[in-house]
Amino acid sequence: MGAVLRLWPVALLMLAAVALTLGVGVRDLSAGAIWRALTAWDPTDPAQVVLVEIRLPRLATGLVAGAALGLAGCVMQALTRNPLADPGLLGVNAGAAFAVVTGALIIGGSGAGLTAILAFPGAALAAAAVFLLGGGLRGEPGPVRLTLAGVAVSALLYSIVNALVLIRGDALEVFRFWVAGTLAQGLQKPLAEMGLVVLAGWLLTLWLAPLLELLALGRDLARGLGTNPLRVQGGALLAVTLLSGAGVAIAGPIAFLGLIVPPVTRRLAGGDLRRELMVAPFVGASILLLADGAGRLILAPAEVRVGVMTAILGGPVFVWIARSLRPGEAR
Amino acid sequence: MTRGLSLVALLCLVSLLSLTLGEVRMPLADLWQGLTTGEGPGAMTLRVLRGPRLATALGTGAVLGLSGAVFQSLLRNPLAAPDVMGFTAGSGLAVVAALVLGLVLPMPLIAAAGGIAAALVVAVVSWRPGARDNSLTLILVGLGTGFTATGLATFLGLTLGDTMAAEARRWIAGSLAARTWSHAGQVWGIGLILALALALQVRALGLLELGPDLASGLGLRVARARNMLLATAVLLAAAGVAVAGPVPFVALMAGPLGIGLTMARRPGTRLLYAAGAGAAITAGADLLARAAVPGVQLPVGVMTGLLGAPYLLWLLSREFGKGEA
Amino acid sequence: MNDIPQGAGLRVEGLSLGYDARRVIEGLDLSLPAGCVTAILGPNGCGKSTLLHALARLRPPLAGRITLEGRALASFPPRALAQKLAILPQAPLAPPGIRVADLVRRGRAPWRGLLQPWSAADATACDAAIAAVGLGPQAGDPVDALSGGQRQRAWIALVLAQSTPFLLLDEPTTWLDLAHQIEILSLLRRLNRERGITVVSVLHDLNLAARYSDRLVLLGREGLIAEGSPEAVMTEANLARAFGLAARVLPDPVSGTPMVCPL
Repeated sequence: MGAVLRLWPVALLMLAAVALTLGVGVRDLSAGAIWRALTAWDPTDPAQVVLVEIRLPRLATGLVAGAALGLAGCVMQALTRNPLADPGLLGVNAGAAFAVVTGALIIGGSGAGLTAILAFPGAALAAAAVFLLGGGLRGEPGPVRLTLAGVAVSALLYSIVNALVLIRGDALEVFRFWVAGTLAQGLQKPLAEMGLVVLAGWLLTLWLAPLLELLALGRDLARGLGTNPLRVQGGALLAVTLLSGAGVAIAGPIAFLGLIVPPVTRRLAGGDLRRELMVAPFVGASILLLADGAGRLILAPAEVRVGVMTAILGGPVFVWIARSLRPGEAR
Repeated sequence: MTRGLSLVALLCLVSLLSLTLGEVRMPLADLWQGLTTGEGPGAMTLRVLRGPRLATALGTGAVLGLSGAVFQSLLRNPLAAPDVMGFTAGSGLAVVAALVLGLVLPMPLIAAAGGIAAALVVAVVSWRPGARDNSLTLILVGLGTGFTATGLATFLGLTLGDTMAAEARRWIAGSLAARTWSHAGQVWGIGLILALALALQVRALGLLELGPDLASGLGLRVARARNMLLATAVLLAAAGVAVAGPVPFVALMAGPLGIGLTMARRPGTRLLYAAGAGAAITAGADLLARAAVPGVQLPVGVMTGLLGAPYLLWLLSREFGKGEA
Repeated sequence: MNDIPQGAGLRVEGLSLGYDARRVIEGLDLSLPAGCVTAILGPNGCGKSTLLHALARLRPPLAGRITLEGRALASFPPRALAQKLAILPQAPLAPPGIRVADLVRRGRAPWRGLLQPWSAADATACDAAIAAVGLGPQAGDPVDALSGGQRQRAWIALVLAQSTPFLLLDEPTTWLDLAHQIEILSLLRRLNRERGITVVSVLHDLNLAARYSDRLVLLGREGLIAEGSPEAVMTEANLARAFGLAARVLPDPVSGTPMVCPL
């Protein structure tokens, strides 16, 4: 099986996503206007202001968040050997929302920096809880068990968040961000910092990829082949935390992206995990930006948050993958 | 039968507390006076405020509990329930869609259509020739269908104005706020008819529990009996959703709680106790949601989520610890 | 047992069974007379269980017909058939926590109308069935708590409570140890002798089948190899054709029935 990495579909996807993000919106911008804004900056031209202050930050947010969540999905699926794994479904979103809302209530602030700092431990704890409750240590966490553990942990955390928000009216503002993810207002978010975190997570996953492939052969065989399963699992969980925490911190809860990306990368990269992880950030970013563009067009001039769009897109994908599992695999 | 008394006692306790506790405490004496004379603050509470809400909560919980117990029995899996499998989400989506489209149809009809549509989608999508006993595939496909329905309902909810959006939220998350006697009458009326239909099928359910081959050997038309039971269960869940929205986890918890409390063995008594447990859970959760934090009214769905999620986690660790499924 | 009128039992004519592409059984003609204990034998995958399922109408034939007491099997209404013929599938499912008596009660389903209450006849049939399999003391126990042999007897009690003249069993002795296998097989033969119930079962153990059956039906990969008395069916030539097994057949020193000694 020669694993040929097909790059041209990724390039096409990226191109379409960037064009949609920069060009289409309340005010459509032509390619010429975009080019002028980049080459001959004129702060008095409203079209150029829209581009620089709204569209470009949106693009950057989408790139970082999409890359992060797409990668996180691939790593989660490789780690759990479960084609239905996704950071959002496995509790990361709820954990981050819970940490940020309770943190904001206790500390009394709600800056973007605080959000980012709190999102990581929240995401990590919830993901670890789902992984452990789903049977991750004892053996094979099957799709049913893992997904339902994610559903239960998310339901619990969201119920607490909902209750807190209703009890303490001042939490409402913080919470609004956590209803559904959005790529808007990129300028107010720590994009550069999170970008660096995602980069670090990406490098970590690329390094872990061959070890994860060994782990997929079963813990005993992996140990026989000279790897330390616990260390690989720990490293993968760290990578998932970095990636999904960063994605959630800047874009809010976006579920299902990590579910949609791996089937695409698998087809593009022919089953080699490291190659998959090389294209996953671009596939994730493109899909997220395209979903965002669709969300801005579908009810224009109103805007549908991208988190809602990925949920509509991801539900059927979930059904499709669930259906294709052989009965023995659906445990 | 004596064990059923504990459940009856629980129901009475929850009902009494629901009527007395809340924003304003209503002493039993006032309630009694209101009940006998029809006057005073107790009468107001009974007739307008807490009475209809309690009746709706009990009815909704009972139909959801019945529905969950039928699914769990038919699919032989404690994880099977109309909420886990997306049928209640389908009902909620149908109601939101009707709000968006401005359809003027009775709510139960819309909810039933949505629930049945979701059930058909799950059945058709997970059907594969030759595959038998695929209850886990069914559950997974149902989960995904529920995700999709909730996503679509959220999306459609965004297209509604602010006042309608608040109404739409009920149909996404479940709430018992502002329920009147007409809601209570609706869920009890439809629920009783469906419960009667279910009572006629209890024997078939008992045979289906033995597996399709033996049930067929005992003279049952297996496919027809199973479809009838599933349809009844979906309609029962829809009857609950039509008045209170897709209140999560009640259907999942009710059967095991009712059976655990009463140690009932026969299908008929099991269903009866599942209904009672569902009623107790829903009314109790609504009481907590209303009265636990002074000055705050939480939706009942939030409270059943707080109660149900830990149960689901416990169930997962227990079920899979046994090494089956 | 030889003066049974024609058509009193189960008859199979030109029967073909299988899945869309693969036919497991092709053009089978067979007669299973009433009043006999018949064992269906054959190698794995020869269609023994498929045939038994067809006899109980759990699986429609691709071609051919089956008659029960001279009447086409397909023409029976479900409950009427269930009053004539009971089937115990290979791995029946016990509802969690169910007690033996409650399990057996479900065998009365074909005899009860939709709204008909539990009758004295139902109770008698259940008690008799539980007594016949010797589970009287365990009637109130949960089925989960029984031993393997007791559990299988509880299932047999369920089909006995069905009070049918025909009883079909799919590998009723699989997973049981030798003592329990003999316990089940002698129970089935006793039921046949005392009540005249026609017993047809799929079995794996050739020697036990020969010892406890009046008639054997031996299937091979290419279809029916032989049917008839154990002595007529269990020959070295037939075994070689059915199983590809080289064996000597000797008389069983205890019962005198044929006994297979593989070479």
